[in-house]
Amino acid sequence: MKLASSPAHITIDKLTFDYGGERPAVDALSFDIARGEFIGLLGPSGCGKSTTLRMFAGLLAPTSGQIIMGGENIVSRPPWERNLGLVFQSYALFPHMTVAQNVAFGLRLRKVGKEESASRVAEALRAVRLEGFGGRRPAELSGGQQQRVAIARAIVIEPEILLLDEPLSNLDARLRDEMRFEIRDIQSRTGITTLFVTHDQQEALTMCDRIAVMNGGRLEQIGTPVEVYDKAATSFVAGFIGRANSVPATLSFGTGAPRLDHEGQALPAPGVDELPKDAGEGAKMSAMVRPHAIQVSRPDAGGLTARVIRSVFVGSVIEVELELGGGQKLVAELSPGSEEAQLAQPGADVALNWRSTDMRIFAA
Amino acid sequence: MTRFLSFISRTYVTLVFCIVFMPMAIILVISFSADSYLSFPPSGWSLKWYGTVLGNTSFMQGFRNSAIIAGVVAALSLALGLPAAYALVRLDFPGRALIRSLVIAPLVLPAMMLGLGILMVFTPAGLVATYPGLVLAHLVMTLPFSIRILQTALSNLGTDVDEAAMTLGARPLQVFMQITLPRLTPGVIASSAIALILSFDEIVLSLFIVGPRLQTLPVALYRYVDERTDPMVAVLAVLMIALSLAIVLVVERSVGFAKAFGR
Repeated sequence: MKLASSPAHITIDKLTFDYGGERPAVDALSFDIARGEFIGLLGPSGCGKSTTLRMFAGLLAPTSGQIIMGGENIVSRPPWERNLGLVFQSYALFPHMTVAQNVAFGLRLRKVGKEESASRVAEALRAVRLEGFGGRRPAELSGGQQQRVAIARAIVIEPEILLLDEPLSNLDARLRDEMRFEIRDIQSRTGITTLFVTHDQQEALTMCDRIAVMNGGRLEQIGTPVEVYDKAATSFVAGFIGRANSVPATLSFGTGAPRLDHEGQALPAPGVDELPKDAGEGAKMSAMVRPHAIQVSRPDAGGLTARVIRSVFVGSVIEVELELGGGQKLVAELSPGSEEAQLAQPGADVALNWRSTDMRIFAA
Repeated sequence: MTRFLSFISRTYVTLVFCIVFMPMAIILVISFSADSYLSFPPSGWSLKWYGTVLGNTSFMQGFRNSAIIAGVVAALSLALGLPAAYALVRLDFPGRALIRSLVIAPLVLPAMMLGLGILMVFTPAGLVATYPGLVLAHLVMTLPFSIRILQTALSNLGTDVDEAAMTLGARPLQVFMQITLPRLTPGVIASSAIALILSFDEIVLSLFIVGPRLQTLPVALYRYVDERTDPMVAVLAVLMIALSLAIVLVVERSVGFAKAFGR
């Protein structure tokens, strides 16, 4: 589904929340969301993603900036006039109501007729696979079921946007995997534009059409899961999404072609296009490479020389910890039983290589 | 060793319970006395003092007054305490922290001082020995408790559920009536019960502002003990304990005390 090019459903423009701390909790955040898109807001705790979600919901007034929905700036609208569905990490069900009453709550406030309400509630409960649970109380349900009630309650009102605040964090691992696909499935069927807040890169990568990576209140990068994983725009993104080795290196153009040196050893030569635009002679850089991109060969094969520190079998791969001449540590993932894995015995000297296209280079 | 320690701790707990409950046990026993003066153990048994209490106009009048006052005080404590607690927990306004600590001030002030202050204000206002006067005075004692209990109950609710209701289209008043208040029921019951018991048992403040026209049960009892010592006071004490116990039991059975006080 290519949605990024379709017209914006929601536009966030320089959205800022400053509670008077050292720096704004959310700092001039701007991006577009297309209709029906599933957007992930990903970042470590304290990055401003939850603050952003609360501003979306109207539970927090932005210091400045706009949220434009359907051509109108909604920041001054109270939450009850925004027509949105919010699913909390804590589910936030109404404990004194039955499941059906919970789901019908938004419809009742919208003065939807009894019959229509009943049929829409039934439909929503069917969508989250909870038919026949309408008469139960939230306390009688498991965590996963409560989660689904919360989703049903949010989607039954056909919201402009569905806001999910870490909805999977309180579930156990097995259920979390299940709900991941279920939420995505429900969203695809209903076509509701969704903003999904999470600190879990795995969730973001597997569920979202696009991921907005936030750090320190700022937007680091927004793109498809493949883009943010393979073409990280900043060293933060490269380090936060997936595992990455970061090797400090000095840039030089001795013979015309760019060259990166780490402690006197040349890294695989970078292409000119892969360098940051303003990087000049002698600039301190940081080269990021994924563990699975590192190739291990005999020490005489050429490349970076390194010593194997330890090698751990973790199931699908062997994780090898390596040390370069200057003490810099790297982690490589090798397939068990491969020739590479044979070479990577603790204490052995090896040569390391990777394709220059597997390397991302950032200013240090 | 552990057996010895467990013996020690069991003895200790038993001792504490004895000290706490012994006076009540003695009073309970004396209330069934056939003697015409307070003595322990009684030389004979009878229920006649229970009959005498029920026939005593001063006590029955006092009971009626105390019940009316306690009922009104409990209702007003809730009506005034709930909005105050809500504001202190949910709303942000300048001086909130200060007001939070000032609210409990009446609990740390000596009751004598409060009573004297109340008397000084009530006398010119014509509130001495009137229902409104006693209700107001008792509110000074009960409101801090009510606000405190409701504050705890409200904080324990958190804001997620209310916010969820809000995003679903509920206005603040709808959220409060349909979501917050039903979830607050245990706290409402607990704070009302406490206000009821406190007001019904209140004596120090009452002593300052009762008069011959209007007397509460504890004051009537106190005055009576001053002049006479017969088992009637024991009967009255037992009845008052029974009433408080009944209220506590109602709270316990309906919501559970631990829950009512926010664990």
